[in-house]
Amino acid sequence: MTGWGALLGAEWRKVTTTKMVWVLTLVAVALSTVNVVPTVLLASGTIPGAAESIGEGQLQNPEFITTVLSQAGTGALFALILGVIAMTGEYRHMTITATFLAEPRRGRVVAAKMALYAVLGAAMAVVVVAGVAVATYATLLPFDHTPLTPAMVGRVFVGAVIGMALYAVLGVSIGALIRSQVTAIIAVVVWVLLLEAIVSALLPAVGKWLPGGALNAAMDVGMRADMTGSFSRADVLPGWAAIGLLLVYAVVFAAIASRTTIRRDIT
Amino acid sequence: MPATAQTTELRVESLTKVFRKGLKAVDDLSFDVRPGRVTGFLGPNGSGKTTTLRCLLGLVSPTSGQALVGGVSYRALGNPTGVVGASLEASGFHPGRSGRNHLRVIARSTGISDARVDEVLNLVGLTPAARRRVVEYSLGMRQRLALAAALLADPAVLILDEPTNGLDPEGIAWLRAFLRERARQGGTVLISSHLLSEVQQTVDDVVIIRKGTLVHAGPLADLGGDGAAPVVVRTPEPDRLVAALGPDAQVTRRPDGAIVVTGSSPAQVGHLAFDAGCELHELSTGMRDLERVFLELTGEQT
Repeated sequence: MTGWGALLGAEWRKVTTTKMVWVLTLVAVALSTVNVVPTVLLASGTIPGAAESIGEGQLQNPEFITTVLSQAGTGALFALILGVIAMTGEYRHMTITATFLAEPRRGRVVAAKMALYAVLGAAMAVVVVAGVAVATYATLLPFDHTPLTPAMVGRVFVGAVIGMALYAVLGVSIGALIRSQVTAIIAVVVWVLLLEAIVSALLPAVGKWLPGGALNAAMDVGMRADMTGSFSRADVLPGWAAIGLLLVYAVVFAAIASRTTIRRDIT
Repeated sequence: MPATAQTTELRVESLTKVFRKGLKAVDDLSFDVRPGRVTGFLGPNGSGKTTTLRCLLGLVSPTSGQALVGGVSYRALGNPTGVVGASLEASGFHPGRSGRNHLRVIARSTGISDARVDEVLNLVGLTPAARRRVVEYSLGMRQRLALAAALLADPAVLILDEPTNGLDPEGIAWLRAFLRERARQGGTVLISSHLLSEVQQTVDDVVIIRKGTLVHAGPLADLGGDGAAPVVVRTPEPDRLVAALGPDAQVTRRPDGAIVVTGSSPAQVGHLAFDAGCELHELSTGMRDLERVFLELTGEQT
C-alpha cells in the first residue's frame, strides 16, 4: 500500500536526481528574457520607423510594459514540455516498470505526477518572471519610460505561476496519452508555436478557448500584437474561467489517458 | 481492503496472451512454482517467458486465464513489492541517474529506508559504483542493480528474468549460491533463461515452454540424462578406432563421420586410440544428455 506521501516523495526524488528540470528552466528563462529586448527596442524609437507600427510613446503606456513583462508566457511551452518529459521519460527509459511494480494502481502514479509538476511548473514561473522583470528593467533604463511598478510585475507573476503550473499538469496528461517522448514533444511544440498561433490569429473567437488563449487570459496579458504588429486589446476569457478551462483540458486528457494508454501492457 | 497473500506459491492458470498485433505470446499455459525451491523457467528466446512473468507482475493483462501470487493477482496484493521482488530487464534505468539514486527512488515509493539501499548495494557488490551514473554501468552491473532493486524489501518471492545475462562466471556462481540460500530459507524463486546450462546447477524444478505452451514441468531430475557427457572423436580410420575401443564400448557413428562414445572419458578414449596407433583429428566432449533433452523439447537444433 503506497500512500500519497510516498508517491510524491518518490516523484520528487526522480526530479532531483536528474538535470531535466534545471536545463528546461534555464532554457525557459533564456528564451523569455531574450524576447524582452527587441520588444522594448522597437517601441523605444531607436530603430527608425519601427515605433510607428507599435504606436508612438508606448513606453509611457503601463499596459504596454505589462505586455513586455508577459513575455514570461514564452516559458509556458517549457512548463508543458517539462510535464511531457516527466511522463514520457518513464516509458522511454522503461523506469515505468519499476514505478508500476511499486504502485500497481497506475492512475495514482499519474495523479501524483500531476500534483508535483503543478508545483514545479509554478516554481519555473517564479524564476522566469524574475528573469523577465530584471531584463525589462535593464532594457528600459536608457529610455524615457513609465515606471516599472511592483503591481505590474505582480499581475504577470500571479498569472504566470497559475498558468505555468497548469501547463505542466497538462503536459503530464498529454505525456500519459501519447507515451512516445519524441512524438509528444513534437506534438506540443507544433501545437503551441504553429497550429495554436494560426488559429488564434485567424479565428480569435476560437483561439480564446484553446489552452494558449486561456494561458493569455490567466496571465491577463491586456494587449497583444496582431498580424500587422500593432497592439490592441486581446479577446480573452475572464481570468477565473481561463484557469478553469486549463484545468478541464488537463483533466480531460488525463481521463482519456487513464482509460486508454495508461492501462496498456508494459512490455 | 487489499487481499493478502496466504502463501507465496505462484500459479499460472490457463494463461493466454494475444497482443494487439495478433501475436499469441502465451497459449493456455498452466504451471505452479513452489516455495522452498528454485524454479527455472526455460524456453528459447521469444517463447513467451517474459510475457508470462509480466502477467504475474500485473504489467501485462492476460487475454484469458490468470497469473497469481499466493492466490491473488499482483495488483490485488496490499504491499506488492514487499511480497514479490522482480528484475525484468537490464534496461529499466534512467541513464543519468546513479545506481544508488535509482534504488532511492524505489525505496521512497515503497517505504524502505535509505540505509537498506546501501545494504543491498553492498550485498550485490555495487558499493564502489553506487554513485556513478547508470550510463557508465556494464551489462553485468545493470544486472546487479536490477537484482538489488528486487531485494530492497527482502521479499519472499523473487522473479528474475534472465538474471545471468551479462554476469561474469564469478557473478553467476555468487547468484547461484544466493538463490539456493533464499530457497533453503523457504523463499520462492523463479528465474528464466533461454539456456538450461546457465541455470542447471541452480534450479530444483524446471518449467519448459515452447511457443507459449507448456512442454514440461517438474523436478529437474525427471528431465532425464545422468549428466555423463559423451565423447566425440574424429579419425581418418574409424573402423580401426572402433575395434580399438573394444566390443563393450557404446559407440554411435554420426552421419558427418564423427564417432560418439558414451560411458567413457576423453582420457580413456584418447589412451586407447594412442595404443592402437590411430590418428585422431578431434577428441572432444559432446553435449550432455540433459541439454540434448532440453533442446529437443524446445525444438532447437541439436
